[in-house]
Amino acid sequence: MKYWQKMRGTTKSPPRVSLVEIAWSWLGAFLGILAVAYLNYQILSGTTLVMVIGSFGASAVLIYGAIKSPLAQPRNLMGGHVFSAIIGVSVYKLLPAAPWMAAPLAVATAIAVMHATRTLHPPGGATALIAVIGGAKIHSLGYWYVLVPAGLGALIMLAVALLVNNIPRTRSYPEYWF
Amino acid sequence: MVERLTADQGKTAPDISDEDIYEAMKEIPGYLDITPGDFKEVYVLAYRQAQERLLHRATAKEIMTREVAWVRVDTPLQEVAELMAQRGVSGVPVLDGANRVVGVISEKDFLKRMSSQGITNFMAVVAGCLRDKGCKAVGIRGRQADDLMNSPAVTVREDTPVLEIARLFKEKAINRVPVLDAQGRLAGIVSRGDLLNLAPFRGGKA
Repeated sequence: MKYWQKMRGTTKSPPRVSLVEIAWSWLGAFLGILAVAYLNYQILSGTTLVMVIGSFGASAVLIYGAIKSPLAQPRNLMGGHVFSAIIGVSVYKLLPAAPWMAAPLAVATAIAVMHATRTLHPPGGATALIAVIGGAKIHSLGYWYVLVPAGLGALIMLAVALLVNNIPRTRSYPEYWF
Repeated sequence: MVERLTADQGKTAPDISDEDIYEAMKEIPGYLDITPGDFKEVYVLAYRQAQERLLHRATAKEIMTREVAWVRVDTPLQEVAELMAQRGVSGVPVLDGANRVVGVISEKDFLKRMSSQGITNFMAVVAGCLRDKGCKAVGIRGRQADDLMNSPAVTVREDTPVLEIARLFKEKAINRVPVLDAQGRLAGIVSRGDLLNLAPFRGGKA
């Protein structure tokens, strides 16, 4: 196919899901983010700990809105956040004075590692990026960032996904664990 | 990838459109994280995979012709030709006294002897006959099967996969292959035409 022709696309967008499906996606996301946000703002406020990071919003899209996707399976969710967090913190510690270089390095390396470990989870890229650009509070966590919020927060959202996504007859989660 | 698929589509691709896939996706509740185009690509490749598997699994026994016309090494060529004409086949296995397949004799072997300029097809013989006097077959009159046959014979067993037979046809430039049973006796013959009896080509079950 010619270079320019490729830019026209080859097929159409997948169909719209039913209203019922939309409602279940809404409910799952609401409860999942409620759990980590409540912990963050009501329980952990005043501490140095963080439980909600921006990338969880993206994870919610996948694990409550596209639950059949390989990107949304437990292996990807947990592996994606944990590996990316390790990469993000490491890169920041390596280049604390050059965020313009640490940021792309963290995201690109996180994607490579997720690919290699078969844990590709798009929000992982954000988790790695946040480790670099997240500000003083995130930076002060050091490698704790890997466990809390990245690991534990993802685990809580996974628990909600398992509970909510298996209620409706038409939904089943996960497709696979590992 | 997309380009290769469309180029090959005439061969084995199932007749399925993006629209078919789209409609099927609508029947599955929940968001499917794949475009109809990608799904079709997977489907086409999987379909081919299944066809290939069927070809691998099918064996000579399932598609061979059991009523085989055959001749002996000492059968006169005149009788060989008459038999082939009568049965409407373009080749026959040649058996020795112990009923072992020792060769195959085909139209091509006759044509080879009857055409002068090394072109071994029927029209070359016709041209020769029109150009020269007399029948070109005179030269082999009175000879017998083992003077003309291709030996040793390329044979297969009843459990030989059909795909391997197809490969043999191509590699050896032959059009039929005798099938031997476990005892080495002639059990049947597979011709190029028999390959068309395969399930993927008939649209039915083997």
